[in-house]
Amino acid sequence: MKVYIRSAGNISPQHSLDTDSFFLSRTTTSNNYFKSVEPDYDSFIDSKMIRRMSRIVKMGVTAAITCLKEAHVEIPAAIVTATAYGCLEDSSSFLRRMIEFDEKLLSPTAFIQSTHNTVGAQIALMLKCHNYNNTIVHRGLSFENALTESILLLKEGTRPVLVGAMDEITDDSQAILSRFGLYRKTDNRMGNIAGEGAAFFLLEKDQGKKSLAILKGLHILYKPESNKAIQHSLLEFLKEKETTLDQIGLILTSHTGNKKMDEQDKELMNSVFRNKVTFPFKSLCGDYPTASGFALWMGSVILKEQMAPFWMEHGPQFPLSNILIHHHSGNSHHSFILISES
Amino acid sequence: MSLNMDKLMYKLKEQIIERLHLKDLKPENIGDDQPLFVEGIGLDSIDALELIVLLQQEYNIKLSNAEDGPRVFHSVRTIADYITANSGALKVTT
Repeated sequence: MKVYIRSAGNISPQHSLDTDSFFLSRTTTSNNYFKSVEPDYDSFIDSKMIRRMSRIVKMGVTAAITCLKEAHVEIPAAIVTATAYGCLEDSSSFLRRMIEFDEKLLSPTAFIQSTHNTVGAQIALMLKCHNYNNTIVHRGLSFENALTESILLLKEGTRPVLVGAMDEITDDSQAILSRFGLYRKTDNRMGNIAGEGAAFFLLEKDQGKKSLAILKGLHILYKPESNKAIQHSLLEFLKEKETTLDQIGLILTSHTGNKKMDEQDKELMNSVFRNKVTFPFKSLCGDYPTASGFALWMGSVILKEQMAPFWMEHGPQFPLSNILIHHHSGNSHHSFILISES
Repeated sequence: MSLNMDKLMYKLKEQIIERLHLKDLKPENIGDDQPLFVEGIGLDSIDALELIVLLQQEYNIKLSNAEDGPRVFHSVRTIADYITANSGALKVTT
């Protein structure tokens, strides 16, 4: 069964809600984090609903609406969302009030909105969609597992499936996660630059009038024993998908520029990815557990448009048939996503 | 109508707007007797919970009987009446 990416919607630190803008200009950051370029949400979300929404909910809902509009689909047969951190702003707000009010008289809204499935629920409420609705929370493989579930749903005949991933940065999360050494601190240049974003995709079994790309395959790898194991796993995956490395015109890598975290990437670049055209997608969206959502969006629009963004140096050759995404989160949660021209 | 009641209703409108993030509304846009739920301002069940917390936090008044909710929270005036009836010496500061 072929899985088609019919449409996509993406809010990220780049101007990605409008594909043309993404191809024309690149956003950079001088901070230790990469925050999303956000639209005027009032033009996307009903004012009665938006008043309770935190940033991640607005990002997720807007990306989902954009995706559905692009495909002219009003109600999907299933909504599957993925997030690692969930709604951090609401969680912080709720916890702060617990301390402030001595665990009494807590405001219900922040609590209700702090659950990981808030974005999926708000999309369903907005669309009045009573169909299947699930949220996958699985650290750096949240989005990949949401994709797996979506593919299984399509196989069962549930179609189309709206699948998306979102994570946000807040002041609290940045302070805590950089203290853990996951992201860059203010006072040093080590650690990854934190990022955020929301990306949604409408998946179908057939091409329809138009589609962005074909989701050819997905492979998950948890805590590989060695770099050799990653390479072996990749080659086996490609063999299964009847695709050779030579047929892949562009590889989107998780390379971040952080020496400590990039060791595996570096080894791959010197072995299986040697002489291949690669691009480090986290330089555009920052590092966060569901950043593979951004990479899938980026790969899909490049395949659809059959051109590289103007700012991309040493881009791929066109026509371009296949793009491989290698995502990893903290060197422990790895995934390979193979997409091809539709 | 007493000045105190007017002040209380105005204060309540400000608190409702702030607490429920009704950023498009100003106190002047909410009628004293305008229904707050559904056909009026359009509040829902989550807002009702917020209003219960508001009463407790700001006025130290607990809604003892949940069945009184629809009557008490019908409009700004009914909330103000409930506060007046259930607080000893109410002082409204602006």
